[in-house]
Amino acid sequence: MALTLAPPKPKSYDDTFFKPIALWLTTTDHKLIGIMYMTTGMIAFLIGGIFALVMRIQLAQPNEHVVSAELYNQMLSAHGTTMIFFFVTVFMTGIANYFVPIMVGARDMAFPRVNLLGFWLIPVSIVVYYMGFFTGGALNAGWTGYPPLTEKVANPGLGVDFWAVSLIIWAISGIMASVNFLTTIVALRAPGMTFRRLPLFVWAQISTSILLLIVGAPLAADLILLEFDRQFGTNFFTTVGRPVLYQHLFWFFGHPEVYIMILPGFGMISEIVPVFARKPIFGYSTMVAALFGIVFLSMGVWAHHMFTVGLNIYLETFFMAMTMLIAVPTGIKFFNWIATCWKGSITFDLPMKFAFGFMATFLLGGITGVYLASVPVDTQLHQSYFVVAHLHYVLFGGSVMTIFAGIYYWFPKITGRKLNKTLGEWHFWTVFVGFNATFLVMHTLGLEGMPRRIYTYPGGFGEQDWGPTNLVITIASFLVAISVLIFIYNLIYSWRNGEPAGDDPWQGNTLEWATSSPPPPYNFERVPPVRSYMPLRDLRRMRERAAQLERAAAPPPSTTSG
Amino acid sequence: MAHRPRIGAEPILGLVIRRWWQFFLAAPLVGIGLTLGAGQALAISITPPSGVSPNGNAIYNLYLIISIPAIVVFVLVEALLLICVFRFRRSAQPPGYVPPQFHGNRPLEITWTVLPFLILVFIGVLSFRVLQQDFVRPSNAATGLALVVYAHQYGWEYDYPQGFSVQTEGLNAVQNPLVVPTGTLVRLQITSKDVIHSWWVPDITGKTDAVPGYYNYTWFKISKPGVWRGECAELCGSGHSSMQIRVEAVSPAQFRKWVAEQEAKAKTASVSPASRPVESRSAVAAATAASF
Repeated sequence: MALTLAPPKPKSYDDTFFKPIALWLTTTDHKLIGIMYMTTGMIAFLIGGIFALVMRIQLAQPNEHVVSAELYNQMLSAHGTTMIFFFVTVFMTGIANYFVPIMVGARDMAFPRVNLLGFWLIPVSIVVYYMGFFTGGALNAGWTGYPPLTEKVANPGLGVDFWAVSLIIWAISGIMASVNFLTTIVALRAPGMTFRRLPLFVWAQISTSILLLIVGAPLAADLILLEFDRQFGTNFFTTVGRPVLYQHLFWFFGHPEVYIMILPGFGMISEIVPVFARKPIFGYSTMVAALFGIVFLSMGVWAHHMFTVGLNIYLETFFMAMTMLIAVPTGIKFFNWIATCWKGSITFDLPMKFAFGFMATFLLGGITGVYLASVPVDTQLHQSYFVVAHLHYVLFGGSVMTIFAGIYYWFPKITGRKLNKTLGEWHFWTVFVGFNATFLVMHTLGLEGMPRRIYTYPGGFGEQDWGPTNLVITIASFLVAISVLIFIYNLIYSWRNGEPAGDDPWQGNTLEWATSSPPPPYNFERVPPVRSYMPLRDLRRMRERAAQLERAAAPPPSTTSG
Repeated sequence: MAHRPRIGAEPILGLVIRRWWQFFLAAPLVGIGLTLGAGQALAISITPPSGVSPNGNAIYNLYLIISIPAIVVFVLVEALLLICVFRFRRSAQPPGYVPPQFHGNRPLEITWTVLPFLILVFIGVLSFRVLQQDFVRPSNAATGLALVVYAHQYGWEYDYPQGFSVQTEGLNAVQNPLVVPTGTLVRLQITSKDVIHSWWVPDITGKTDAVPGYYNYTWFKISKPGVWRGECAELCGSGHSSMQIRVEAVSPAQFRKWVAEQEAKAKTASVSPASRPVESRSAVAAATAASF
């Protein structure tokens, strides 16, 4: 801020960047589409957060009636659906949309118009879902929507139909994006950008796309069968059908979806940690191998969400083993990040702060996952607040923290300005303290026997009184809300008034830092040579060497320079 | 390697710990101590209930065993992160320090792949043994009392082999508990009449889903008399949180007396509770939901 540099002009779009609506509606530029994805995701994040706060107020004390039980059930379903489908996944797709083509040195995505269609299906999907609230009540059976509760008999309203159609549209959009990412990465890499030199964020996006490509269709199939039941009177999942089949199909999508939400985050952390530790990533190829280990294993773990429905115990043992195994590649990634920091010269700028915040919190989510993987223990913890705490450690402490880290890291590239540091520090500490205060104590509620998704609870019977713990959680959740408000203010403020960042504020390793901030519509005037997985570091070293040589050569007039 | 000046947090740690790796020896013990201490001090649970039934107790023991490697790994990794924060930050490094540019370390990588794997195999094998022992349908010979449980929105119906049944609607489960004898293996055969529910009394054992279309089995053998609370653990509609469960364990003698009373009651009532018309039940359910 003390700098008196002229603010960078949005040189990329001839000063039309913010002006015409038509540009935003029709653009096929992956960067603008990426921004639209991210904006949509952020709005969904705020809406989902409001639902969470109302639920926390409702649960603050025993026997409260802030909202009705029916509305409470709608809100818990909307919170889950919004955060998982419309915030985290959409936001991750946005970041990848912006950076994957630049990182592989391409001018745009492989199918720009498919990209445009894929994006615009997302607002459609969101609007369709929220229609439920205006037509007599949205989905009220949790984001998983288990039948027979979602069948016509138990749930005659339109909310379930809107939800099912919305997610079918969402799945189609996701499949489009996946095909597009894979084609871009395979076909449009710059000269020299071999697979062994791809940035780890791009590798993460490959694995994510493969996953979504495989599991998107089963989700759509599952919901189509449900709609058949509801609209045409079939009996796939009704009381005379097989309700558990729905759960198999749903979790065959649902568990990989967890990894769809976290693998791009792993990729971002793998980009951020080496830059701020000033070291190359430790074990590049094992990082890639771990990603694909997770992709492979994540498709064989779905029934760990179903350990109480009465599966055969040997089947349960298989899923328990697969679930535990998946901790191994995740552990490898963790140790590799730490080894990357080891003996480094670490600067804790905001992206790195959030990366460490992510590692410190996600670790606990990973460890409680091992408890939940053990079938006998899971029968006690399943569907309790322990699971709620676990999944928020994985999704908030995991995905959302990486999203924050990614935003602080790449905001300068997208806007040409850094996010305000003071506000960023406030954001980090409020979210870190608020998040842990909210969800760490939540584990104990589950251990004391409080089921998830209950509207209210009587106070004081039995041995445990859940009231005080719930009150603490509610207060802490408002600290998280304050942190998000600080963050949003920072985004808006810094977009116009932030400190100018220059093209390469962090001394990055990957290609996006070679172009201007924001990048021109064609991304690169000339793609720098790629001779390792850290082309920008090579470039900086080359320039340093050239400068040294020049200095060395300057004093005595050289005979060969001619 | 040359001795580097020690800056940052190390003077504090250095009082007891001379080298960074010594931290690892102390950290897990400190972590376990802190966790237990915090749980005690704040009067909150850091374990599931110890279980008044053997299968619930097996869960509790398994949870404790998993906690040992879990706390060790947690504390180790957090300690490594803290070392990175305090020891390897730029301000703690000598000026002009250039980090070594290493890319990998084969033995180290193999270690942190194989070691977690072995820990997980250990946890997996233990879990499987408990699963095989305590999570299968008890044979008829081993069963002392076989109950059939029907769940519905928003109550439970427990059919006793003697021909009567205990029925609860929503919150009235509190006055109307499921009565079972102590020291007897009680087998529950659970299903649902409408949507999916889940039978869960945390102090006794883990939960079992009530799914329409087939029977699930669970069992318990309660050692001491008492009343335990529980509730439906699978979202089942707007009355879900009212769908309470109470289990009262009484001595076998008292249980026989109670059964005799129930049989007498069932005889005097012209319509047996099991065949009560469906309308009245759903009317009660609606009333419960509305009052809630």
